[in-house]
Amino acid sequence: MKKINQLATPYIIWAGIMILLPMLLILFYAITDSGNGIVSFRLTLKPFGKFFTDPDFLLILWRSLGIALKTTIICIIIGYPVAYYIAGSDDRVQNLLILIITIPTWINMLVRTYAWIGLLSDGGLFSTILGFAGLKDVKLLYTEGAVILGMVYNFIPFMILQINASLSKMDHSLIQAAADLGANRTQCFLKVTLPLSLPGVVNGIALVFLPAVSSFFIPKMLGGGQYYLIGNVIENQFITVGEWNFGSAISIIMAVIMMAFMYVVRAIERRNSTVEEDDRRRRGAAL
Amino acid sequence: MRMTIKKFTVCILAAAIALCCLGGCGGRKDGPYAGRTLYIYNTGEYTGEWVLDDFEYQTGCKVIQDEFESNEQMYIKVANGDMYDLLIPSDYMIERLRQEGLIQPLDKSRITCWDLLTDECLGLGYDPQNEYSVPYFWGTVGIAYDKDKVSEEDLEREGWNIFLDPKYKGDMYLYDSERDMFMVALKALGYSMNTKDEGELREAYDWLIRVVENQEPEIVTDEIIDAMAQGRKALGIVYSGDANYIQVENEGMGFYLPEEGTNLWCDAMVIPANAENVDLAYEYINFISQYDEALDNSLTVGYTSPNRDVVEDLTGQGGEYSGIKSYIPRADNPNDEVFEFDADTRRIMADLWAKVKIAASNAN
Repeated sequence: MKKINQLATPYIIWAGIMILLPMLLILFYAITDSGNGIVSFRLTLKPFGKFFTDPDFLLILWRSLGIALKTTIICIIIGYPVAYYIAGSDDRVQNLLILIITIPTWINMLVRTYAWIGLLSDGGLFSTILGFAGLKDVKLLYTEGAVILGMVYNFIPFMILQINASLSKMDHSLIQAAADLGANRTQCFLKVTLPLSLPGVVNGIALVFLPAVSSFFIPKMLGGGQYYLIGNVIENQFITVGEWNFGSAISIIMAVIMMAFMYVVRAIERRNSTVEEDDRRRRGAAL
Repeated sequence: MRMTIKKFTVCILAAAIALCCLGGCGGRKDGPYAGRTLYIYNTGEYTGEWVLDDFEYQTGCKVIQDEFESNEQMYIKVANGDMYDLLIPSDYMIERLRQEGLIQPLDKSRITCWDLLTDECLGLGYDPQNEYSVPYFWGTVGIAYDKDKVSEEDLEREGWNIFLDPKYKGDMYLYDSERDMFMVALKALGYSMNTKDEGELREAYDWLIRVVENQEPEIVTDEIIDAMAQGRKALGIVYSGDANYIQVENEGMGFYLPEEGTNLWCDAMVIPANAENVDLAYEYINFISQYDEALDNSLTVGYTSPNRDVVEDLTGQGGEYSGIKSYIPRADNPNDEVFEFDADTRRIMADLWAKVKIAASNAN
């Protein structure tokens, strides 16, 4: 047992350097500023104050969360039926379909997003088709719709794969049992399949919502420079303005928001499963 | 006997493959710099088609060129100690690198190309004696416009303020760079683009806010080149080098430099303080400034060459850019200025520009 523990040492060191250290650095930057001639840095919470007292930043934060939420909801609405269909088909088809879902992720995200620029731009494929349909001068690129489209397109495979994983793990005899006990198909789905697939949905939400909140190049490419989300604000603070302290502070604020969000989602999930268990236990007792 | 012949063949084949490899991925083995590597850090798509291969062939060295998207991105890497032998940043960034001791003075006796270069791009404010830098490309910033949609009269009457003209609402591009946009705003208001006066910067900020809140501009970077070449919008702020390309691609597009003045800029080669192959860097500076190499650079990239003869031939009868005025940067308007680097002003501009973009996205 001890030997196995020792085997983990390189991983722990690696994780410390590659994961923990950068996060601590960001935290360090977030709560300090460059100080004066005597001390090289000073502890301060000013950057946080700057963020929360500026209505512009708060509006951007609000919009980023909104966009991420819309992206996540669309991903669930489209992704769930797809995952359900895949899980219901036979093994060979299933593997093929999963392959098809995964193939786009082999190509770099940046390249795929660039492709959308070509498709959505004025004179691109979509505006030409709309032109034939009589809808001239419809603006597609550099709109909120384009940003959401880009995000859904980039992140939906994660949602589908997560839901599919929990659906295909599911024990099918449970559905048969429910049907035997007189549940119709809708009831089977709502009472058995859906609750059992919730962990997959939750994981999917984590994998879609979190990157969508902080994504900066999808809004930059498809929304244009005049479409600013919180990720762009952070990037801009680091690259152009050179305010690493403020950029780090926003990153920390985002990290806290995301952790809180995940905590809430997990709590809801846990409560649901305990409610069900209680339910089951109660029914068991009644029997 | 058969074994030896086989062995012999294998040896020959191996030698041939090794030779091919050497030939393919480096210079001649007998070149004066064989086995050395020159590290260049340059803007993306800013080099001629064959110059790097040719340099490798002539010197025997290997060239590794990294590309950056913005001067600021380059600065972060260089300031954090990454080693390069040659950088090609813009004027104001050269001033900053110089102030912070990140580049070394040139040994002028080792640079043999001075008399090939146009006088107008030498001795500019960021490096008055050219002690640190040798020009690579130069130009101005102006307005690319669709000749069918925009009247010359409006351009002449309004200058930069044409971006506030309601006629062109929703039909314009701004360039996503705080330097260039504050230049436009300050010039539109009649101020120096190198002002340190916070009141004037504030006014420029208000000017930009008016543009983004009323005119529905799209704020883009290099997408502007293809977009203007396809005539997607009536007005756009572009570098003169990109205007050359736009006009060659689309004859319906023009380029206008407002009388209120513009930014005369120059991207130049500098040697970082921590360079390890200084002699190779000098070789490259001299090499790239020659006629053929400068011509390849200018033809491939479309920007104005600092080499006098190249400019003359390209804009002369039958030249690639004959009749395209933007290729020759304007040198006779006293309102034109070169950017000076000032750490505080830069910070204020960057901060305000971020706010302009936030206002733009909140205006939608």
